[in-house]
Amino acid sequence: MKAVALSPVISRVIAFSAAIALSFAPLPALCQQDATATVQAHVDSVLKMLGNPALKGPKGEERKRAEVRAEADKLFDFVELSKRTLGLSWNRFGIDQRKEFVALYKQLLENTYMDRLMTYAGEKMTFSRPTPLDTNTVEVKSELQVKTGPVALVFRLINQDGQWKVYDVVIEGVSLIANYRSQFREILVNRDPAALLDTLRKTVGKGPK
Amino acid sequence: MKIFWLPAAISILFLLPSQGAALAPPPAFSFLSGTDAGPIMLAQAGKTEGRAEGKAAAEPEGEYGNVTEDEVSKASVPEVRIADPLEKWNRFWFTFNDRLYFWVLKPVSGGYKRGVPEGLRVIFNNFYRNVASPIRILNNLLQLKMKDTGGELLRLAVNSTVGVAGFRDCAAECFGIRMHEEDFGLTLGFYHVGQGFYLVWPILGPSTARDSVGLLGDFAADPIFWLPWEYSIPLKTHDKVNYVSFHIGDYEALKNSAIDPYVAVRSAYIQNRAAALKK
Repeated sequence: MKAVALSPVISRVIAFSAAIALSFAPLPALCQQDATATVQAHVDSVLKMLGNPALKGPKGEERKRAEVRAEADKLFDFVELSKRTLGLSWNRFGIDQRKEFVALYKQLLENTYMDRLMTYAGEKMTFSRPTPLDTNTVEVKSELQVKTGPVALVFRLINQDGQWKVYDVVIEGVSLIANYRSQFREILVNRDPAALLDTLRKTVGKGPK
Repeated sequence: MKIFWLPAAISILFLLPSQGAALAPPPAFSFLSGTDAGPIMLAQAGKTEGRAEGKAAAEPEGEYGNVTEDEVSKASVPEVRIADPLEKWNRFWFTFNDRLYFWVLKPVSGGYKRGVPEGLRVIFNNFYRNVASPIRILNNLLQLKMKDTGGELLRLAVNSTVGVAGFRDCAAECFGIRMHEEDFGLTLGFYHVGQGFYLVWPILGPSTARDSVGLLGDFAADPIFWLPWEYSIPLKTHDKVNYVSFHIGDYEALKNSAIDPYVAVRSAYIQNRAAALKK
């Protein structure tokens, strides 16, 4: 009888300590592990799709582009990427301007790099475990093997409601958002957000479709 | 998604005045590269000043809402910046190099790529990297990176023998001994010499006051440079053409994705060098 009376207490203690233990050590580690898994899953599926011999010719390429775009939307947080690029200048933009900025910025990146992605020829890519940057951001280091040597790629991710989203990519030490920040700054120093949007529109307009 | 950004990186590598990229020393302009400039590094200017023009829209929607100063200062990675007092001069040579690429280097490398099988081009690339070993050995040593110095020495020994005169990078492929890129510009940085100001050289591309001084050291440590010019210039040119044959389209991607290609390349160069220094 005694044992029976004790058991709910014991199980409660066990459950409680398990909860405590989980809430400290393993959980953050688990979450961060997810960051690598997220990047790797999207990247792998893009690479697999790009290497698919069935997707040939203009029709296959159209499919590829659409799928890359869909994966990019899932992997990247373009709003976060835009905010971090602009910093406080973001506040100088009206809401509609902000929306247009995000759309144009995304378009610009897609236009330019899509063609390069299409030339992917099976280069190997490896990922390492994520390292925390602050409470809700981590970076995932990876390496791409190209013919002239390895290229260091770092993905920076933010945890948005339990989902990891990329907000910066650092290639050989060059941060994408820092690079654009330096360019946008030159415009925003003397001119208003409308001028920046104008320039962006022109740049996007002349790029490949 | 990842190789999305790869071209930008590689174009930066291509634009770097690394030992592989150098075609000729810059004798006529060396007066500009001296230490007389002094280190004028504007580091850590990460915070963008913002006036709250957007405040009018009082309660904006969700993720498109205002950012706070706190968020921004927490989010911004310390930004590397560089003084550019010679921007006009630099822009001139940037344009010059840009045309040189599109009018000469790209068509030549493109033809070369079509004519020479990839396997052979990889061999040439390995060979030139192996020949440039003294630069890496010396600078790893000067920076007291003993493990990497040993690694580079071992690489030179393995690749020059088992790798048949450096044709194959057997050190990396068979033994996993990787290359540790170092140069004299980074060695100066290691001993706390500041970047100075930004400088674009004809043919050689982006550099800084410090890295220009470093380049002279790199030339001096490069065996090819010591050959008579009838050999050194064709060899350096071939190295460059061979290297670019692997990276056609990279510079184009960087350029097309830029609002201002000059600023994009400058930022990329400075960031890349700062990261290399931290390694």
